[in-house]
Amino acid sequence: MEEPILKCGIEIHQRLDTGKLFCRCPSTLSEDEKPDLQIIRNLRASESEMGELDRAARLEQEKQLDFKYDAFRRNCCLVETDEEPPLPIDHEALLLVLGVAQQLNMRVVDQVHTMRKIVVDGSNTSGFQRTALIATNGFMETSQGKVGIDTIAVEEESAGILETEKSGLKHYRLDRLGIPLIELATSPDIVSGEHCKEVAEKIGMILRATGKAARGLGTIRQDVNISIPQGTRVEIKGVQDLKLIPKIVEIEVNRQKNLLTLLEKLKGVQPEENPQVMDLTEIFANTESGLINRGIVSGQRVMGFRLQGHKGILGTELQPGKRYGTELADYAKTAGVKGIIHSDEELSKYKISSEEFTKLRENLEVGEEDAFVFVVAEEGTARMALARVKERAALREIIGETRKVNQDGTSAYMRPLPGKARMYPETDIRAIDITQTTLIEAKQRAGEGLDAKKKKLDDLLNPEMAKRMIKSRHLKTFEKLVEMGVEPMLAAATLEDTLVALRREGVEIKNPETTLSDLFEHYLKGEFVKSAIIEILPAMAEGKGVLEILEERQLHKISGEPLKKLVLEHNKNLGEIMKNYRLRVDAKEVKELMNSL
Amino acid sequence: MKLKRVKLNKKGVTYEGFILPQSNDKTIVLKLENGYNIGLSKEGTSIEELGEIEVLPKTKETTQERGEIAILSMGGTICSRVEYKTGAVFPSTTPGELMHNLPELEKICSFHTKSLFAMLSEDMAPKHWSIAANAIKEEIDQGVDGVVILHGTDTMHYSSAALSYMLQDTPVPVVLVGAQRSPDRPSTDARLNILNAAYTAKGPIAQVGVCMHADTNDDYAYFHLGTRVRKMHTSSRDAFQSIGVNPLAKVDFRNELFEPRCNYDDRGGKLKFNNEVSENVALVYTYPGMNPKILDSLADYDGIVIAGTGLGHVATDPFKAKNVKRVLPEIQALCASGIPVVMSSQCIFGRVNLNVYTAGRMLQEAGVIGSDADWTPEAAYAKLCWVLGHEKNQKKVETEMMIPIAGDITPRSVV
Ligand SMILES: [Zn+2]
Repeated sequence: MEEPILKCGIEIHQRLDTGKLFCRCPSTLSEDEKPDLQIIRNLRASESEMGELDRAARLEQEKQLDFKYDAFRRNCCLVETDEEPPLPIDHEALLLVLGVAQQLNMRVVDQVHTMRKIVVDGSNTSGFQRTALIATNGFMETSQGKVGIDTIAVEEESAGILETEKSGLKHYRLDRLGIPLIELATSPDIVSGEHCKEVAEKIGMILRATGKAARGLGTIRQDVNISIPQGTRVEIKGVQDLKLIPKIVEIEVNRQKNLLTLLEKLKGVQPEENPQVMDLTEIFANTESGLINRGIVSGQRVMGFRLQGHKGILGTELQPGKRYGTELADYAKTAGVKGIIHSDEELSKYKISSEEFTKLRENLEVGEEDAFVFVVAEEGTARMALARVKERAALREIIGETRKVNQDGTSAYMRPLPGKARMYPETDIRAIDITQTTLIEAKQRAGEGLDAKKKKLDDLLNPEMAKRMIKSRHLKTFEKLVEMGVEPMLAAATLEDTLVALRREGVEIKNPETTLSDLFEHYLKGEFVKSAIIEILPAMAEGKGVLEILEERQLHKISGEPLKKLVLEHNKNLGEIMKNYRLRVDAKEVKELMNSL
Repeated sequence: MKLKRVKLNKKGVTYEGFILPQSNDKTIVLKLENGYNIGLSKEGTSIEELGEIEVLPKTKETTQERGEIAILSMGGTICSRVEYKTGAVFPSTTPGELMHNLPELEKICSFHTKSLFAMLSEDMAPKHWSIAANAIKEEIDQGVDGVVILHGTDTMHYSSAALSYMLQDTPVPVVLVGAQRSPDRPSTDARLNILNAAYTAKGPIAQVGVCMHADTNDDYAYFHLGTRVRKMHTSSRDAFQSIGVNPLAKVDFRNELFEPRCNYDDRGGKLKFNNEVSENVALVYTYPGMNPKILDSLADYDGIVIAGTGLGHVATDPFKAKNVKRVLPEIQALCASGIPVVMSSQCIFGRVNLNVYTAGRMLQEAGVIGSDADWTPEAAYAKLCWVLGHEKNQKKVETEMMIPIAGDITPRSVV
């Protein structure tokens, strides 16, 4: 088979370090804090202005509709709890997006309309995410030519999920809700996995160059859209590690190829109109299978149905280590079951006896070419899960899906691709006219842009370090340190090398910006030498102050008269002095001193 | 409604989508394929028409057989949906349309719906209370088990008070209900509020009241006495609170719970109906430095309710202090001309008492009514509109105002 032509685009969500988008709360997080208020809410999808109910929204509707929310006084107000209408859009966030849009050669809309994107999974107390399209039709230069930037939007971040309680009640935290996100989507111009990685990296750098991109875990998220001819657009969500992108693309291309081959095999197999779902619990009355027995004891049922003509199909590998059966199981899981058991599996691994197997085949009237699927769950859940499996197995084409990326680069089905019916105008916010003045202000606010920044770094650092620094998440800290007067190479090396070296030894500097500002303030006063930095930082990580550390470890810099004395004592032997006082003297100063004596 | 599908070209970029009606002379508002709306200035834009689509809200075919419960709509957020021209929420949903999104309602009761008005509640006037009271009476006459009124929240407590006077000894529950979040939102409170209101309308308490969220959670609701309920927050779900009394009942249809919280009137009363109102009553909020001329300008009114400070005060200046704008002479003049002047307190909570301070005594001597009444300003206003509907004699109005009706004045302020 010929190598299929890949169609690939990427969508990037970057949190902004401004105030929240539609209220005046700070964009801070409340990890491990006790909530000041807990509330229970119920969501129901409503119809969009076009009168259709979105497919993804409808699917959520079948599930639990009550949600629990934790609210914190310091970063949540009545807007987050959906008890007050939103306030006008955060001006700084709007300017940043307008600025980035201009850097990406985009066409800014003349009037911004805020929309409600219906999301009834509970991640928004309102049942929708507010979002506004700011610009379209841009492009960026890459090693493989121009890549189109279709859209850039500004939207509010959702609430973070804490847990799903045993009852099925989803529990969210409201601190994150409302933090601004830039949402940027490229055209499907990306030609390979490597190219996709390059594009993602470059966009990340452009966003960080504004100096207002939030940093830390989860502050940037990539979704990759992939399709091949005869395949369809599949969105792979939640890519955190850019290095994984080429692998993700390769696996998804192969998955779609494998599905096409599989569909070829299923050509003559008509999906059964109404495959009978049967209660198979009786068969397992005396089962050795712990899994099944535990279920039955707790009142669950074993239920399943036959898949005609599917023998061997369920066992076909689609992704490394993941078979078609896994694909069906992922659909079943969306109904709340842990998984499915099917006839292309080694049933002995569940301790299902051959006698039970025979009975299963008899009961379900499984023929030579047929397969079967069953689940262990409460009856309602089981029926819903099997209905999902049936629906998926009846498909004779690749359908659009939203999938979640796994750590190994494979992906699992999450939900159908959301359609455009999710959008509804946000009637509580007035449209914003974008004037020339705003655009100019935005240009200034978003900063000089990536290219100018690159040039500046080239002047300050050696080429290798400049290349690293432009990609670094510490770029902003670097700029701050240089502004303080720290030698650029020293600042860069501390951020890019020393911190990494320390992390490998298990020393984590929690807030590099404040810690290093503090460290270099003392350094610039001449209190210690460069080589002492790696000795001081671990102690700072424990919360100690610089002066305290210098005292405790005797790391004060030796210079002037005491240094002269030292040089004389060691008969001007540089090697000897450096060996003994490496952490306390500056080699250059010692040399100069020796020459002058 | 029809939407035009177009291709717009602006400086070499094409946009495809539907033209939305909020477009104006300068700006075209376009719904793009991806669902977003954007505004593009008309300048330098060429339009190519591609076709048209019909957009119609889905309405459930209601057969309108009479049911146990009558659901009457008076407008408000609870009956609202998006209005395209301005992009704002506008009351336009018919009750039938609303019920389409409430399949649970049929499990609670059979019902029929009727639209009285489609209006914002801040636009209502006493005349609308009269029309509503008449529609409710007709439903009661035809034997419904209860009445649910869909109403805007801004003035729902005025209406609930007015209906309490017009429909005394109602034989069935009359339940006003509203929404603080519009029904076009997944998080709307309309759904739970309506379902709890319907549950209340089938319940044992045959009184006029308001049924709304009890707190910020989507779990249970309170049924509040119509004369003692007030909107106490601009936007929260639990904006409606009982003033100085317990709610009549806690209501939770999901758990089939209806828990009365105080003494109430049973079903089966004999309706005393009177929907005559005066539409010429003023409600005046006093404040430091109020210009006495404001009161002068009220001489043509049938009656005046004052929301005074504290125990029910206005600037009377008994001590002849400097720089005081006394309004006492104007009040004396109004009373002397035969206009009933009724005192209530802008404190909202607590009882009017015109005996404690000299200021109060001077007002009483002038003829101001209302000492010892713990009514809300809104209930006092609705009551005066209603009393003046059938009685103009100042002395008789005073007597009638002070007789407690439907719990508007309580005999004792419970601790
Ligand atoms: Zn807030």
